[in-house]
Amino acid sequence: MIPDLDQIRRVLIIDDEPANVRVLSISLRSDGYEVLTAFSGEEGIARFVAETPDIVLTDIKMPGLDGIQVLKEIRGRTDDVEVIIITGHGDIDNAIEALQYGASDFINKPIRDEALAVALYRAKEKLALKRLVEAHTDELEIEVQRATRELRRQANFQAKLIGSSNDGIVATDANFNIVLFNPGAERIFGWDGSEVVGLRKGNDFYPPDIDDVFQSDLQRHETRKELPWRETTIVARDGERIPVRFSATLLYEETEMMGSVAFFQDLREVKRLEHELVQSERLAAIGQTVAGLAHGVKNVLQGFKGGSYLVDIGIEKQDTEKLKKGWAMIQRSIANTSDLVLDLLSYSKQREPEFEACDPNAVVEDIVLLMGDTARSHAIALTTDLDPQVGEVVMDPRTLHSSLLNLVTNALDACIFDGDTSKRFSVSITSERKTDGWLHFSVADNGIGMPAEVRARLFSSFFSTKGHRGTGLGLLVTRKLIEEHGGDIAFESQAGRGTTFTVRLPFQPVEAHSPPQP
Amino acid sequence: MSEKVLVVDDDPDVQLFSVTVLEENGYTPLTANDGQEGMAVIRKEVPALVILDVLMPRESGIKLYRTLRTDAKFKSVPVIVLSGISKRSFLRSQNALAEFGGEKVPEPNLYLEKPVEPEELANAIKTVLG
Repeated sequence: MIPDLDQIRRVLIIDDEPANVRVLSISLRSDGYEVLTAFSGEEGIARFVAETPDIVLTDIKMPGLDGIQVLKEIRGRTDDVEVIIITGHGDIDNAIEALQYGASDFINKPIRDEALAVALYRAKEKLALKRLVEAHTDELEIEVQRATRELRRQANFQAKLIGSSNDGIVATDANFNIVLFNPGAERIFGWDGSEVVGLRKGNDFYPPDIDDVFQSDLQRHETRKELPWRETTIVARDGERIPVRFSATLLYEETEMMGSVAFFQDLREVKRLEHELVQSERLAAIGQTVAGLAHGVKNVLQGFKGGSYLVDIGIEKQDTEKLKKGWAMIQRSIANTSDLVLDLLSYSKQREPEFEACDPNAVVEDIVLLMGDTARSHAIALTTDLDPQVGEVVMDPRTLHSSLLNLVTNALDACIFDGDTSKRFSVSITSERKTDGWLHFSVADNGIGMPAEVRARLFSSFFSTKGHRGTGLGLLVTRKLIEEHGGDIAFESQAGRGTTFTVRLPFQPVEAHSPPQP
Repeated sequence: MSEKVLVVDDDPDVQLFSVTVLEENGYTPLTANDGQEGMAVIRKEVPALVILDVLMPRESGIKLYRTLRTDAKFKSVPVIVLSGISKRSFLRSQNALAEFGGEKVPEPNLYLEKPVEPEELANAIKTVLG
């Protein structure tokens, strides 16, 4: 901004000689100034206070208040004025004194127009510049005030935010002295902020796991932008171990470590709900188990009742045929009872796999041998596609045997139950050794397949589509065995098209397995 | 000629039991292994009574019962359900099907939960057939 010198026009002339005042007045008015006059120092001050001129032109030698005193008086009141001192010829000492007291310039008598014009011009320039700076300063001050208010507002907001956060927030300075301990932290840790802030170290409250976070931060030399949550346990004031989620970071300004902050979330409620959920699921599972079991038991009992009814009739009527049929029915019921009980036992019992060197492909061949008759009697092609790379490995062959036996039985049933007479039914078993330490087995059939509602309930207990022939536990037991072995089971199925089960089991190479010492 | 009674059950032992009870009480038993077979026999033979299991492979008794009760010709054929499934579960599944857009069907004439004594089954048959 360029100072506007034309705005500065009011000049006060103070001189005890009226002739001088008149001459100067005429000269200045003709230059466009607005001229005020005073004929003594005292009158000059009064007019100055009343009129606030921009420039004061004062004689130095006056009776009463002289020019220096007038200058001091004016400077004592304001800086927003320029004072030009008029000195006698050779009165250099007074002139210097005047400059020391803040006069902007001095001119000698007799006053020459050029000298006056230059002095006035300089005075105007100085004043204008000063006003410009002041205006800027004012603006700056307003801006600073506004920014301060905004900062205070934000700080208030953040303080409220931190204060009302459900999360516990603990912040420290670079020496890990606690500087912030919000109400959330008070609730979790059981300490009052006033007992902690400035008095304790972050390490008194931080869980030990936090060191990992800080160590890795120390290497990065910057504040994390993302704070991953981790779960841990903290010890509250009363000794209660409280499960929490926390995230933490060191705070950096540029590359200098300024402090640390950690956020804690109380997981007690979540854990309680989780526990309740598990309990209610367990209850539901027990209910389901009892209901499913009841169905199985009812069917088995019906078999016993039916069998003994036939036996009774056989005895009564001397009917050997009925007797035989009834006895066979009782025997089947015994077998069904045994199946149900054994399935239940193996489902409810935790079993550790027993690892040994074995040939998985031989296990598959054994299954084919076992089930071959059933397959042939229903015209189902039972085939294998075995990976010769499988060789001898260390795993539990019993897990593989029971799992595959169950899956192949299911696959055959899926073909037997399929009413589609146009199909040539087949069940095929494959094995494959992957380089990543896993064996993959699959059992695929082109039988009846599963609609969505069956797929959804496939692994639930006592769910069976096999009517009287299923206990509804087979697949469940199989999955349990596979999971105990560290493996997993998956399937794909389409109603009317067939089903493929895939089993993945981990194994150890034989050489890595040290046989038990004799 | 004695009345024809159809036994629909996938369990051969239950079939044999029911058939024996029927024979001993002077009825002519017919058998079917699932819902599909059952419906075929009903259309062909038009039995006086159907003894129906619920959980069977291929087509369940739930479906067969609905087919029967919504078919003008077989609406009045009486049905005794003989199942390990509780009556409540059976009715619940029927109601669910009704809500699914089907019509509401009446309850079966009698509902017997396995295991059932031979006398119980015989009495039920006599009650329903009058």
